Amino acid sequence: MKSRLGSVLLSLLMSTSVMAGEYDLTVDRVEIDTGDFVKEGIGYNGASPGPVMRFKEGETVKINVTNNLDEMTSIHWHGLILPFNQDGVPGISFPGIKPGETFTYEFPIQQAGTYWFHSHSGFQEPDGAYGAIVIEPEGREPFRYDREFVVQLTDKHPHSGDRIMRNLKMMPDYYNREQQTVGEFFSDASKNGLMNTVRDRMAWGDMRMMKADVEDLQGFTGLINGKGPDQNWTGLFEPGERIRLRFINSSAMTYFDIRIPGLDMTVVQADGNNVQPVSVDEFRIGVAETYDVIVRPKDEQAYTIFAESMGRSGYARATLAPEEGMEAAVPQLREAARLTMADMGGMPGMDHGSMAGMDHGNMDMDSSEDMSGMDHSSMEGTDQSNMGGMDHSNMEAMDHSGMSGMDHGSMTMGKEDKSDPFYAKGSGLMPKAANGGKFLSYADLKAQDPLYEDREPTREIELRLTGNMERYTWSINGVKYEDADPIRLKYGERVRFKFVNETMMTHPMHLHGMWSILDVGAGQWNPIKHTINVNPGTTVYMETEVDEPGQWAFHCHLSYHAAAGMFRKVIIEGGPDSTQAKTDVIAEDGGEA
Amino acid sequence: MTISKFLVAAAAISLSATAFAAGTHGGGHGHGAASGEPGKASAVSRTITVEMYDNYYEPESITVSPGETVRFMVENKGNLVHEFNIGTPEMHEGHQEEMMMMVEHGVIQGGRLNHDMMEMDMGNGQSMKHDDPNSVLLEPGQSQEVIWKFSDNSNIEFACNVPGHYQAGMYGDVKVQ
Repeated sequence: MKSRLGSVLLSLLMSTSVMAGEYDLTVDRVEIDTGDFVKEGIGYNGASPGPVMRFKEGETVKINVTNNLDEMTSIHWHGLILPFNQDGVPGISFPGIKPGETFTYEFPIQQAGTYWFHSHSGFQEPDGAYGAIVIEPEGREPFRYDREFVVQLTDKHPHSGDRIMRNLKMMPDYYNREQQTVGEFFSDASKNGLMNTVRDRMAWGDMRMMKADVEDLQGFTGLINGKGPDQNWTGLFEPGERIRLRFINSSAMTYFDIRIPGLDMTVVQADGNNVQPVSVDEFRIGVAETYDVIVRPKDEQAYTIFAESMGRSGYARATLAPEEGMEAAVPQLREAARLTMADMGGMPGMDHGSMAGMDHGNMDMDSSEDMSGMDHSSMEGTDQSNMGGMDHSNMEAMDHSGMSGMDHGSMTMGKEDKSDPFYAKGSGLMPKAANGGKFLSYADLKAQDPLYEDREPTREIELRLTGNMERYTWSINGVKYEDADPIRLKYGERVRFKFVNETMMTHPMHLHGMWSILDVGAGQWNPIKHTINVNPGTTVYMETEVDEPGQWAFHCHLSYHAAAGMFRKVIIEGGPDSTQAKTDVIAEDGGEA
Repeated sequence: MTISKFLVAAAAISLSATAFAAGTHGGGHGHGAASGEPGKASAVSRTITVEMYDNYYEPESITVSPGETVRFMVENKGNLVHEFNIGTPEMHEGHQEEMMMMVEHGVIQGGRLNHDMMEMDMGNGQSMKHDDPNSVLLEPGQSQEVIWKFSDNSNIEFACNVPGHYQAGMYGDVKVQ
């Protein structure tokens, strides 16, 4: 179902008739071949990933899901706005779908863009139960393209989800191959001094984490549309065409840094919602996020879509080419990212003395690029709007730095200098484009056409993202799901959520059923998303217009974090008119992650 | 369009010296063949209305004769700042770097232009004014006209060079025949 002929014109012609689409999905045991290994998994209509579901804004869809497994299943329509009892979370939206049964979902399509669907039962999603959703808008898109491809990523692991969870619980660093060695201790000691190095190691030990904890699940093969790097999924194009790539990260645990050497990518959608277009050389896609980009290859040559995992332990690779069989060079993985003391910034009980001491150590270790980057980040991080914030100080700087400029040199310098305000200052995760160019930041995301009026939130709810890596427990405000009270919101209010990440891991927080208005400091232009990354040592705000009754899941989308307890039920009190949702009859039949 | 509105827009988007297309005469520009030259109102053969939306034009293609002088009534019907600029793809590419600078310095802020910032002296007597005769830069709701005499160069597009807009597809073809 990969559309190789998805011209805008064609799809517009095809979609002019109003229809209530009916679709059938079967949930099946399937074989997954990554090129590196073959394993049994779960898929839809006999394959993993499942089909690309193509809907049209304004239609009502009916989807018959037949469970051919010998266990409970469910399908969650990730990012879709729909009645809560169609959201597909066992124990919250409905009881789940029993073996042999067919459950019919029915809901109106009230949005457009790129989304995805996946099982919300046990570890069926990491085992392969996912697929893509493409929704054509009622009106025209605010951008143009001649051709489109879904580019759906995952991190396929040879172990089943159940086995991975058991291993992580038993030994949290089971899948962490990047641990620091005794040799590194001595080389650090000679570089940074023995005492600094000892202090550094002790601080990390206190945190029950290790510097290499960028990824707690390594040893996967990155897949694009179900194909491993050697199987090389290929999308064909005619030189000069504009191609829309719909990137979806359906990984269980892995963030990817994506680039296409030789091509600029213009980001036009994030999480299915149009954003003011921004051209980048590279972007990071969090687990469960989607980004739509437009590329325009002008030459008769192949281009590699290269997706390195954030911790550089693996990659996915695909190709855009004028002809089947053509391929371009595949870059080497860059050096593994290492967390720094800055990524511990959110940890309670860090004493400032040791922080200051460590800062120096860091600066010595890092390149000078980092240091100049840090200067700017403080500037950007503090102001409300990026643009306003750059005002005068920069103007002066421009005077000196050769106004004969406006040339390439000063432009690219400006780009490189900026560090991303959504990362802790000096963070080891701070992204950098491989070619030294522009790396997308959340701060670049501005709504193209804001869905909601900007207004003051009615209240703020603080959610500390917490965990104990040594016991592999993950929680919110120190309490894991099974011990937690639901979060209660009132229909009609606008809630401001304050995420404080007190762990060393990045958490992609996903609120079901209602939009997450990400605060990038752009006021009315703040973008709406369904998944919000919160990096280590940072605080991120989002606001939600509570405009859907019922009860919803709210969780970290890293599969094993959600299962370990970084998960909440959200109950909406009240509703439009008197249609108070009946939510108390749902049995807890299925798994909740 | 009222006269006062026109004057306001014209004052805001007044003269400056950018690297290209500022001249009144084609030929001799670094990028090869010229896109034409500013036209005289008396020579206008017809008026074409171009509406700017977020982020596309209506129409997305026009046809002109070599040497024809056209009055463009350009209207921004979107919610963001947009440009209407006549040039070759290479000229647009060059101009996009300047526009990026305007965004980075807060001159273009989503749906608003910071006029004070445009006037500011950047050193070397340059400013970030946007005033080439082949283009207009408009806030939402603004209208302005461009009178342009086309050459016989057929490699011409009208384009919005606000960062990202051209790349997203905000350009139109000029067919010269």
